Amino acid sequence: MPGHERDDQLFRMLCEFDEAAFEERAPSRVKARLYSAIIRDQQETGPLQSLSETHAAGHGLCIFESLVQIAPVGEKAKSPFFCWTCHARLLAENVENAPIFWAHCPYVSFQNR
Amino acid sequence: MGHSLQAVTDIRPDTTEDMRLVAEVLRKDRKATAEFVSRYSDCVYSYVRRRMIPRTEVAEDLIQEVFVAAWQSLKNYRGDASLRHWLLGIARHKVDDHYRKRLRTFDWQDSEDESIAEPSVTPTYEEQIDRALLQKKTRRVLATLPEAYCLVLLWRYQEDRSAREMAQLTGKTEKAIERLLARAREHFKRRWNHAGT
Repeated sequence: MPGHERDDQLFRMLCEFDEAAFEERAPSRVKARLYSAIIRDQQETGPLQSLSETHAAGHGLCIFESLVQIAPVGEKAKSPFFCWTCHARLLAENVENAPIFWAHCPYVSFQNR
Repeated sequence: MGHSLQAVTDIRPDTTEDMRLVAEVLRKDRKATAEFVSRYSDCVYSYVRRRMIPRTEVAEDLIQEVFVAAWQSLKNYRGDASLRHWLLGIARHKVDDHYRKRLRTFDWQDSEDESIAEPSVTPTYEEQIDRALLQKKTRRVLATLPEAYCLVLLWRYQEDRSAREMAQLTGKTEKAIERLLARAREHFKRRWNHAGT
């Protein structure tokens, strides 16, 4: 076997890292930042789906979102991404498995517990 | 929507759930978007991280680029492949982009040297039978290489890109890529031989 082919074979073997060795969950703060980045991008092309529509589609809302959803305001007022002002987002983006526990908060669902 | 969804599921029934999720994310449903991230971030993270060896910290920025790009082209997802497979395709492009951009910053004058005498490298008996040991040493040696050498080796041998493809993607000649590869192999082998087990 020519030298360069032998080399190619050797380096292929050396660089063939086991998939299993790298199968691990993404850090929760990475997931939180990912989510915020996508939402930010979604908002650049128009409003998010309103919380009433999200709720009607069968998704649970967190306590704060529920308060907005039942408020006597128009659908447009129920579209902003209220998590921007929530400390849960800040915690989740900066602290691994941040101590946030309330139901239906998207940032809780990213935790690796 | 219902009609086209039926046509897709007739061929590939396993993408029904993916199509549902995609439709919800396209409607900018924040909870569906969270589900999208929860469901696929682990596999994309693992994929990208493995390809960023030994500089795995880069994976966190790249995975964000993958998901934002995925959202921006999600309307093109037709359910021909699973959403996971589709996302990994985007991840592969982003990894290629990363290799390409980093290699473009490399001072190519350094790799213009003429003949390169490559020392030989032979994994020890223990390394040959213990794959984990071999991989550990490979990662250790890669970590000591200049970034361009590390990237070019991984692009060629892990990603299985030919010198011609790499030349096209970086705007360099095939000869320049081959010279860079030869130099990278040489450095790798020298360091391997001094790295112990």
